[in-house]
Amino acid sequence: MSGLRAPNTAVIAAATRPTPWWRTTWFRWTLAAVVFLVLVVIPFIADPYSNQTMTRIMMWAVAILGLNVVMGYAGQVSLGQIFFVGVGAYATAITLKSHWGVDLGLLGAVIAFVLAAVIPGVLGFLVALAAARLRGIAIAMVTIALPIVGVPLAKRFSDLTGGAPGISPSSKWFRTPDWLSGLLYDDQYRYLLALVIAGIVFLLVAFLVRGKFGRAFAIVKANESVASAMGISPYRTKVLAFTIASAIGGIGGFLYVVVNTFTSPDTLSFPNSINLIIATIVGGAGTIIGPILGGVYFQLVTQIPTALQASQWTTVIQGIVILLVLFLLPGGLASLPRVIRRLTAKRPDRHVGTGTAPAPIPGNPGTTKE
Amino acid sequence: MQLFIQLIVDGLAQGSIYAALALAIVLVNQATGLVNFAQGGMAVLSAYIGLAVVDLLAPAFGPGLVALAIVIAIVVALAFSFVFGAAVERLVMRRFERGDEDTAVVATIGVLTLITGLVGIIWSYNYQHFPWFFPIAQSFSIAGIGVSVWSLTTFLAVIVIMIVLQLLFMRTKLGLGLRAVADNPASAALSGLKVGRLLMVGWGLAATLGAVGGILIAPKLQLTPNMLDSVLVYALAAVVIGGLDSPLGAVIAAWGIAIVENLSAAYLPTIVGQDLKVAVPFAFLVIILIFRPQGLFGRKAVVRV
Amino acid sequence: MKITVTKRRALVLAASVGVLALGLAGCTRGGGTPSGDDSGAAASPGITDTTITIGIDTPLTGTTAGPGNCTADGAIAYFGGVNDAGGVKFGDGKTRKVEFKLYDDKYDPNTASSNFQQAQSDGVFAMALGLGTPTNNAWKQAALDAGVPQVLIMTGDPKFDDVSESPNAIGLVPKYQDEGEAFGKLLAADGKQHKVAIIEQNDDYGKGYVEGFKAGIGDSKNIEIVSDLTYEPTDTSLDGQVTQSAATGADVLFNAVSVTPLAVGELQKAQAIGWKPSIFAPSNTSSPGGVLTPGGAIDASGNPVYPGIYSVSFSNVPAAPTFASSENGQKFLDAIKNPAYYPAGASPQTGVPDFPHCVWSWIGGQILDQAFQKMTSPTRDAFMEALRSISGYKADFMLEGTSVDTTKDGSPAISTVVVQKFNGKGYATVQNFG
Repeated sequence: MSGLRAPNTAVIAAATRPTPWWRTTWFRWTLAAVVFLVLVVIPFIADPYSNQTMTRIMMWAVAILGLNVVMGYAGQVSLGQIFFVGVGAYATAITLKSHWGVDLGLLGAVIAFVLAAVIPGVLGFLVALAAARLRGIAIAMVTIALPIVGVPLAKRFSDLTGGAPGISPSSKWFRTPDWLSGLLYDDQYRYLLALVIAGIVFLLVAFLVRGKFGRAFAIVKANESVASAMGISPYRTKVLAFTIASAIGGIGGFLYVVVNTFTSPDTLSFPNSINLIIATIVGGAGTIIGPILGGVYFQLVTQIPTALQASQWTTVIQGIVILLVLFLLPGGLASLPRVIRRLTAKRPDRHVGTGTAPAPIPGNPGTTKE
Repeated sequence: MQLFIQLIVDGLAQGSIYAALALAIVLVNQATGLVNFAQGGMAVLSAYIGLAVVDLLAPAFGPGLVALAIVIAIVVALAFSFVFGAAVERLVMRRFERGDEDTAVVATIGVLTLITGLVGIIWSYNYQHFPWFFPIAQSFSIAGIGVSVWSLTTFLAVIVIMIVLQLLFMRTKLGLGLRAVADNPASAALSGLKVGRLLMVGWGLAATLGAVGGILIAPKLQLTPNMLDSVLVYALAAVVIGGLDSPLGAVIAAWGIAIVENLSAAYLPTIVGQDLKVAVPFAFLVIILIFRPQGLFGRKAVVRV
Repeated sequence: MKITVTKRRALVLAASVGVLALGLAGCTRGGGTPSGDDSGAAASPGITDTTITIGIDTPLTGTTAGPGNCTADGAIAYFGGVNDAGGVKFGDGKTRKVEFKLYDDKYDPNTASSNFQQAQSDGVFAMALGLGTPTNNAWKQAALDAGVPQVLIMTGDPKFDDVSESPNAIGLVPKYQDEGEAFGKLLAADGKQHKVAIIEQNDDYGKGYVEGFKAGIGDSKNIEIVSDLTYEPTDTSLDGQVTQSAATGADVLFNAVSVTPLAVGELQKAQAIGWKPSIFAPSNTSSPGGVLTPGGAIDASGNPVYPGIYSVSFSNVPAAPTFASSENGQKFLDAIKNPAYYPAGASPQTGVPDFPHCVWSWIGGQILDQAFQKMTSPTRDAFMEALRSISGYKADFMLEGTSVDTTKDGSPAISTVVVQKFNGKGYATVQNFG
């Protein structure tokens, strides 16, 4: 006969404690609705340049989201993400200029979008087959090869890619379509187009990482031996992560053409590889909001110094920021709220001098388990 | 035939540039277990310090004593690089040495970015001419093959440094201490080794090595903040192919990369040609890594679960 | 109990969100500048009764920062002096000072495109003088759509000179084809047998030069092109290319190399393997101080090492001794160093510029001055009309036989070049090869 034990008051208290207001479901849904509304309405009140800036931020946020899947969630360094962005951009621009684009109108644009995701995804898959077994510097070197070899390849097939000067689909593609004209200025249209695409991609990834794939990524990242012991193949998981990352990068490339109506071999050049990694970590690897913050950072760290006629400081600022983040805020800007809460949290059960700790006060933020 | 041999000789010269930086990367890896993406940037900074010293001294010394000014500049630059390397280890890298190696790599990328930016602001992005003991174009001919004195100097310097490194690590107490600290800092500390000091020495030596490479290269490539960026990528490729812990492997891989690049550009003009010759070393890299992830000369890393 | 509370909360929040939405939608932005040309009468943005603002998007940092800074600095220095003297008397009677806004694109087309949008937001009248083909290409269509002039840009790409394709644009410097052709013609006229090895940059720059060169030699029987090798601007050296070219036994090297350290390395390597051809150097890598001297083109006794180094040019170089002693030359050298002329944050040149782009930019500034003096109303249309009507204008430092002519459709502002030969100190115009 099992002895009756005294009920564990602490556990019961924790279980019945009401959740703090910022974590309740209704608050989160309302917050999401407000954010969504603001995002949709902003282009109508902001000036064109701000809209263009925000559209660029969304473009980079998508590219960084892809890199985040591979670096943040699956834990592999990839210096080649910009290559997939470039391939996606080329797929888009070439399709739009081809007879598919010219003859099929909107369907052509859809084909361009699909190719922008699929072609980089397939390439990423192939690269991952070779690279996913490698660790550390080795995989960094294999991924470095992508932009380095990509640039001369893009130049070589100049009949297809337009070569070094680049390729420019007609600007009619990303102007307000006729059925919307009068309602939307061009910059607003591009903003909303990018918002829809980026929004869908972010939602898809959010669902992905909360599901079984996300859990598989996390386990593989933490400890590969444990993963294989559990029946999860680290190799297959990493290949999957890389493929998804490349496809997302390709969609970022589609947005690149939306924003610039242009692409060239410089799109997939090596310096941006490094900047993307910095932005991923500054934003916050392994989170969903991190890439958005990373996109903001990526765009503004160049734009603001240039506007202040101090563009030579961009590189120095990049270096200082990444080092500060690595030292002080390893979870990136996305972890800032959590860090602030931890720093300002009260600890009522650490009274100086008294021997016993008082019972935890229900609802006190300092005693809530993170 | 002459073209073939000349291309190989060229490859050895070009490869020595990559090898100089590769050796520094190997040293850092053997001493601290990290791969330093900032190695090239640190070398460039030291070269700029050397140039600043030359510019300071040369007017005072007069044209006859330029060589002396250069020697003093080199000594100052090397001393600076040792101190700077040690400082970077202590102030920046110490934090990341125990943790995830990818985070450490990103930290070195941050250091590289910061150095490049500061150098660009202080000295501008214009190409600066680095004076040297003899004209770079000076050359002699062996059996019809033209060899520039500069190439020969760099080639020999690389061999000397490689031998010194191998001896350092295999034969000296310091080398043993460095390797012990990189391998297992905890037991090294328990054995009485001053871990912190050895880490700083390791980075300081590597920075000095890199600075030697930077100063050798600057007269040839013209000094600019991004001078060693492409060289860094080749050096890393050489290190990965040759093995992260083998100076000999890194140097042979560096020479191999340059020679193969030259030959494939010349003899496979349609498939490879001058524009895609950069793909050849990377193709080799991928193939070698698939079959031998530790590199050609490296030791297999056993990861304890 | 809880369910009712939640429902109430949800209703309250939905209502406030709805009010917020209506409120936000209510304030639409007023008069945002959508795409579309400005029509004639009303003044274009960026011009007032006392100032006109010109935007320059060019690489100010990064590997092309040397020429990139020069492309802006020459015009800034020129107008600095003009502003000091009171400003430019425009064709509409008003005297205005010329202000510049600089944007750094780091030679990245995406950044260039973003900079153009920023320039529009800053309200510039026109964009001028930027360096680089892919960067200028990136926002070419956007500029066209918005009616913003993209003029006197430092690229030899002929697309910008075509009036029907780019009515709002015109290049400043001769097309790559023109330069290559001038040398090709010179070589063909020589009559002697020549074997030519080509080393070209793997982009429109190299292709343009070679295309022009081939057009210049036509089907002359005495010229044979024995090799044509490319390189990437990111390569660390051209030793392999030089070795291969030397192996062909060519006596002429046609260089379409725009990266200074690579050009220097070429000269060093060729000597090192004992290959001494006649060399053609393009205008942006022919500088005696920046390329030839470091490359060892003169030996210790001051004699040229190569039988001939040729270049094409339309202007004098600041490094030549005669430049500083000329009156305009001294004015140029002083102005280009004067920090007072530069916008806040921009840095002036220090010392004699190594790149010819500084002089070209000064000339570009003078051409703008001419256009400003001619334009009869403060609009972009009037400006373009005035700009495209300059002919026979000899700007400062232009060589004998060259002049500015913007009236030809399909040609940049300067399309006449002369062939020059290095004489140990500077360049002198020559009529014949050898």
